[in-house]
Amino acid sequence: MATVRLTYPSRMDSENRMLDDVSRSLQEFSLPTDIRQAILLTVSEAFTNALTHGNRLDPSKTIAIELSINESTLVADITDQGTEGLKRVAQHQPPGPLSESGRGLSLIRHYASRVALAETAEGGLHVRIEFDLIETNTRPS
Amino acid sequence: MDIQAREENGVAVLSLSGRLDLASGSQLKDEIKKYLEKNVTSIHLNLAKVEFINSSGLGSLVSIMKEIRLLKGRFTMSDLASYVREIFEITQLSHIFEIFATEEEALTSYQTPVTPS
Repeated sequence: MATVRLTYPSRMDSENRMLDDVSRSLQEFSLPTDIRQAILLTVSEAFTNALTHGNRLDPSKTIAIELSINESTLVADITDQGTEGLKRVAQHQPPGPLSESGRGLSLIRHYASRVALAETAEGGLHVRIEFDLIETNTRPS
Repeated sequence: MDIQAREENGVAVLSLSGRLDLASGSQLKDEIKKYLEKNVTSIHLNLAKVEFINSSGLGSLVSIMKEIRLLKGRFTMSDLASYVREIFEITQLSHIFEIFATEEEALTSYQTPVTPS
């Protein structure tokens, strides 16, 4: 089991740093390109939601990412320091065709093997995204 | 994200490289706004070198399309990598945007409209 822990302030420029860091970690895990792209996308979606909806770009609040991998599974945990995290998700409406936002969670659900949402004791949203690596590796290209 | 821009027969052609996400989507909107302010409302994006796009980047493209439609202009895209095209399809945005296989096909369509691929 290998684990990488990353923490970012809730600023716009954190997104790019996060993408660089997570890309590097996924390369070090020697994962195939398609699974790397899917993981990066889903982590990015959860991160952007945490940044804009959870922490509302408050630079005093942080977003924590933990990536854990073993032979069969990669788990990504993304946690914000917002409030009423689950209520926020429950209020989410599916996007209309010309909506400019609201597609992140459906992309996460499309690519991930499993997704779990929970609330921290302080009310922040904790998103757990799991990828079954064996299934993905045997998926026809 | 890097943006290489040129004008060809009244069409602004922007070739994007890198990631299209929250921050770079905003950068792209600013760049396109410059053309719209000059009344250049035919905008083509070549996405061949876009290596990553997320829902924030898609949202920027929807925003750009809506702005161009308001001005009765036209917005096309081409050269989507398979990974990027897949994300357009999952989000059903491939039905909303005018997407061509190649930049050449897209630019030709501005002269003689053809059905997008």
